[in-house]
Amino acid sequence: MEPVEKMNTANVRAMVAELVYRSCMMLDAMDFNAFLAVCDEKFHYLITAFSPEIRKEMTWLEHDKMGMTLLFKTLPKHNSDQSILSRHATVYTISFSDDSKHADVVTVIQIYRTTLDGGATELFAVGKMHDKVVLSADGPLLLARQIKLDTRMLGIGFHIPF
Amino acid sequence: MARTGKEWHEKPKFPETHFVDTRIYTDDVLFREEQEKIFNKVWIIACHESEIPNAFDYRTFHHPGGAELIVVRSEDLKVRSFYNICPHRGNTLLYDPVGNAKRITCIFHAWTFDTKGACTDITRGKQGYQDRFCPADASLREVRADTGYGGFVWVNIDDSAPSLAEYIGPAMELLDESLGLELEVFHYHKAVVHTNYKLWHDTNSEFYHDYIHYFNRATGMIQPGYFDRKYTGYQNGHASVGSMSIKYDAYDGGAERKVGWPGLGPGGWILIDIFPGMTFNLRTSVLRMDTAIPAGPNKLLIEFRGLGLKSDTPAQRAERVRDHNTIWGPFGRNLHEDLLGVHGQGMAMRERTDSKWVIHGREENMTIHDEGGMRHFYAEWGRRMGRKPFDPYDDNNIEAA
Repeated sequence: MEPVEKMNTANVRAMVAELVYRSCMMLDAMDFNAFLAVCDEKFHYLITAFSPEIRKEMTWLEHDKMGMTLLFKTLPKHNSDQSILSRHATVYTISFSDDSKHADVVTVIQIYRTTLDGGATELFAVGKMHDKVVLSADGPLLLARQIKLDTRMLGIGFHIPF
Repeated sequence: MARTGKEWHEKPKFPETHFVDTRIYTDDVLFREEQEKIFNKVWIIACHESEIPNAFDYRTFHHPGGAELIVVRSEDLKVRSFYNICPHRGNTLLYDPVGNAKRITCIFHAWTFDTKGACTDITRGKQGYQDRFCPADASLREVRADTGYGGFVWVNIDDSAPSLAEYIGPAMELLDESLGLELEVFHYHKAVVHTNYKLWHDTNSEFYHDYIHYFNRATGMIQPGYFDRKYTGYQNGHASVGSMSIKYDAYDGGAERKVGWPGLGPGGWILIDIFPGMTFNLRTSVLRMDTAIPAGPNKLLIEFRGLGLKSDTPAQRAERVRDHNTIWGPFGRNLHEDLLGVHGQGMAMRERTDSKWVIHGREENMTIHDEGGMRHFYAEWGRRMGRKPFDPYDDNNIEAA
């Protein structure tokens, strides 16, 4: 692959956006190994929400790559809601660091939940996804992801990261 | 061999204290009666004092008895509570869940109240009411409020109810050494589940359901001391479970906990259930507080709070947040399993599903898998309701023992 700094900006933007979209598709398909494969070794994952009730920013889930790996590994052992999640994402902005080694991506995301029994779909959560992407000659990788949820009522909750 | 319809309805082979009729979870008449005879008579946690730290800070609260409340810190820093209803035309006074209001002004006709509940202005009052009605006639309805047991703000709709201290009695003694410092809420979220509030409180009153949790059945139950923990019942239906030491390093990906909690040994765990739907759950470095706010027999709003010490350094707070979310956050490994469990009970026990009994029959010397905590709760429920939990309408043809 051509070094990133020599690539056409539009091409890099397309690659970064596609990484975000592909990561959503991998999580939708519960292909967690594929998801981890597009995460850098220093990957950091965060779900946050602001509570007006206590006037505080809250962290609801935080893991490094090893933590995410362990979480995914134990998912089948949990008693969880088995509804299917679909992530609908739209990349809003992509900005590059001065040295062209990183990209910051802001994506709006809606998560829909579809029941196994009958297949009814409901909007489950909305928020924004803030990704930091490391750009290398091997292609872009997710370095950090922060899901900033607007939705704070999630029913019984979910153990699968968004 | 499976049972026939007749056998399914037969009285369980336990004493009457050891099972309940599932209509107590589904019946609308019983629920309305619970609001009147239980929720409107007892002390309920409305919020935590750290949510209203300054003069004129307020929180709104939907009381499980039905009333909409304001909880406000007045100018004298005393916490007071009022109905969130304008005495003029019945409008909501404060719409937001939280805020700061030196004066509470109704948006409808701009009647104004101070944070002690006095009406301070009726717009064009003299012109409209002459001398027939004045601000002194238009005060807010005050609800009793008290602060305690870790800085929680408790309210009681009943003007003549016993004091908070009398209501709690000795039930909180296990946490005496642990709630002395100032606390702060760092986590708050709500969940609506289609289930009965008592089923959620039951889940917080028995540990036999540890089988639902992968991590608990894989590691917790095999730790020394797990089966030694004991339930203690107190007056007014409260109950506690003593401490055990959790070996967090036994959990996959677990780590030695450094922060801890005052008065709690390393890896300690104390749980106190306050009748009819509040649970103090102190585990290692975090205090979790659940408040059950039923909206109907099969609809429950739960408020979840996570608390640390107000004096926490950023690093200490971060560790408490991590400990909390790993297990009890909306994405944690245990909370969604507990909620799925009571959601399933709600589905199975809806009216017309022909559910009939729930059994609380385990006796293990009141240790951790004994169901005595629930039996203690339902004895108080029956006392307050004037009904038998196993036969709420006296139509099960069960002779009292």
